[in-house]
Amino acid sequence: MNSAAWGVMLHADLTTGTFQDVVLPDWLQEGYLGGKGYAAKLLLDLIPERADPLGPDNMLLFLPGPLTGTPAPAMRACVATKSPQTNLFLDSYFGGMFGPEIKYAGYDGLMISGCATEPVVLVVDRDGPRLQPAEALWGLDTLETTRRVKEVLGDEEFKIATIGPAGERQVRYSLICCEFNRQAGRGGAGAVMGSKNLKAVALKGERLVRVHDQSAFDRALDRANKEIRDSAECRSLMASGTAGSVEFANEAGLIPANNFSDGTSSLAKKLGDAGQSRALWLSRAACFGCPIACTQMGAVRTGTYAQMVTDIVEYESAAMLGTNLGIGDARAVAHLTKLCDLLGLDSISTGACVGFAMEAASKGLLAGWAPAEEIADLEFGNIPAAEEVIRMIAAQQGELGRLLSQGVKAAAKTLGPEAERLAQHVKGLEMPAWGPRGAPGMGLAYMTADRGACHQRGFPVGYEATGMEWRGKPVQALSLEGKAELVATLQDYLAGTDCLVKCDFGAMGVAPETYAELLNAATGRNVEASFFDELGRRIWNTTRLFNLREGLDISHEHLPRRFVEEPLPSGPHKGHRITDEDMRTLLADYYQVRDWDAQGRPLKESLIHSGVETDRRVVLTAPMAQNETREA
Amino acid sequence: MQQSRPSVFIRTHFDACTGCQLCQAACSLHMFGGYNPRKSMLTIRRKWENMAHIPVVCEQCASPMCLRACPVQAISRDEKTKVVGIDREKCISCGLCDRYCPLGMIHLDAESGKAFKCDLCDGSPSCVKACPTGALDLITSPIRPGDAAEGQS
Repeated sequence: MNSAAWGVMLHADLTTGTFQDVVLPDWLQEGYLGGKGYAAKLLLDLIPERADPLGPDNMLLFLPGPLTGTPAPAMRACVATKSPQTNLFLDSYFGGMFGPEIKYAGYDGLMISGCATEPVVLVVDRDGPRLQPAEALWGLDTLETTRRVKEVLGDEEFKIATIGPAGERQVRYSLICCEFNRQAGRGGAGAVMGSKNLKAVALKGERLVRVHDQSAFDRALDRANKEIRDSAECRSLMASGTAGSVEFANEAGLIPANNFSDGTSSLAKKLGDAGQSRALWLSRAACFGCPIACTQMGAVRTGTYAQMVTDIVEYESAAMLGTNLGIGDARAVAHLTKLCDLLGLDSISTGACVGFAMEAASKGLLAGWAPAEEIADLEFGNIPAAEEVIRMIAAQQGELGRLLSQGVKAAAKTLGPEAERLAQHVKGLEMPAWGPRGAPGMGLAYMTADRGACHQRGFPVGYEATGMEWRGKPVQALSLEGKAELVATLQDYLAGTDCLVKCDFGAMGVAPETYAELLNAATGRNVEASFFDELGRRIWNTTRLFNLREGLDISHEHLPRRFVEEPLPSGPHKGHRITDEDMRTLLADYYQVRDWDAQGRPLKESLIHSGVETDRRVVLTAPMAQNETREA
Repeated sequence: MQQSRPSVFIRTHFDACTGCQLCQAACSLHMFGGYNPRKSMLTIRRKWENMAHIPVVCEQCASPMCLRACPVQAISRDEKTKVVGIDREKCISCGLCDRYCPLGMIHLDAESGKAFKCDLCDGSPSCVKACPTGALDLITSPIRPGDAAEGQS
């Protein structure tokens, strides 16, 4: 029977340099499907309790899903590991061409453990897996590494995932750059890769991904593609990607300005789709198999950054490295974003760290701590100063670079209580660019997201800022009632479909029934649309078990003090904040909706009810010697 | 010498191409029964990082260099459709057709070693149908097959 899933992963132990094909047990495939589902169960089973995220015991997983590599629109893959920023579960998603290549290489995932003694590249092609020395690549930026790995292997067709200099130095919020320039950005997966001395992974797969029932799959594809064409949200992404969100978020009072001190910015207009289109864009680009093509590629044609090729400055980067730093020049923000990409830094966390430093400097909190020349020009709106700080972070250079490379939570702790009030993070992960003061449901989503402050585990802003209907009633932005149920429901569905692995933008068009139809036709399963909600609930309970085991408790589930104490200075929800009482109400509701106790711990019955697998676990046996791993 | 091209051809528009590779996935499905853009008969050249995407398709040349290079006459033009095709029974996997196609339109199958190329899907190419942006266009030539002299189609 054909299936678009292989049921096999590759385990590479970098300490011993050995490889092993791991056959996935049926119960794992049935109960956890792929992508995020596998991430949840495998990290729980395979990482020893309280393991050092930057030590050899941590696992680094690259996980596509059953539909990745097929033309089902639009599929991605994820990186999963224990985060060095939060010490908790981390999944970070990426598009491009690397995810499908894992499938073409014949695998449902790559599991990487151990630590190489010297820098290496993991190569997988027709000849099987092997490690190659990478000393010559150490220190190179992400795009140069991608180019050089292909050159060394003598084949342009390899698809590459790589870290930049920041990942090599284990800067806590380093990313993994997946061909082509698609980032597994959040949570520091690049630091984990760097800690393993793994500079890059190069794949060239020759296998065909075959679906179970081609004619049923073709029908489901037609339906999915029609749903995307008919979706106003998808059409908007085709026209201007997420740059269109810049002005929307500004009008809704949700955009971060000057380290989240405000929710509107006069600079937004220049950084949105109109501004970018004029200054930068030349051509559209898509990830593999995607009809949406949300990327607008462009170039800076004149001025200081002339001749630089740039991706669309997507919303998060435009806000975090733009309005959040008081910078309103689209070309400069494109330059700073590209710099983060090349050095291998998450642009969201970097923007949060630089914004933190700018505000700390303005309040005199860095004086006497960092040398005067390091902080002389560190003020909102200063583009060269922002650039310099980013370079210092990646190189862990100077007092300031070393301090900020640990993330805002650790940096604030070093600087003292006054600085802690300027540190915008939840559980150690810096805030993305949607200030929650006018959207308490979003605040709850941040507090409860499994990987820390994240806008992609549930995005109630879509309802709160638009008044869109939920269960037959328009959602009131500032109301607390019903928000816990809204957040948990969104979280479940997104987690369930993150097993496919769907892209959030495709999901704006494709209906749950259609995802079920695609999955059934591709794999021979027989699930209904509600399957994804049930699967998601199982996953949220599984990642919760992992996080509790690793030291999470509910005292960590709160918003940064700024959103609690300082009323929003402008915008439609001017004067609003999320009080301690609000947070308690939201969280109590949420734990109840989730069937967790008052301490946020899943009840035994809720684990059984959601089908969390606690008895059976995945175990890796000792790999064979390298030359015995595969038949020719 | 009768040497004309098929009455239909694929016209490419690089300005509409996003590099999504849906054309290539459709092609590998047509040729091999599964998805892998590496196993397709057309390519997408990328320029300036990922900015420009230039689809390249077999032109079913009026004077095909692959056909001339083949030492065993495994490559021929179909009399009726004018499509340049490969007889895999005759193909000896020497790779000379691939070496002398300047557009790189010959696919050497990694498993069998045999050469494959675009067959225009019996006049209704899967790649054109799969393209979501109109970067691949199916054009029907006003000149009837067989009418055109060499190089004029």
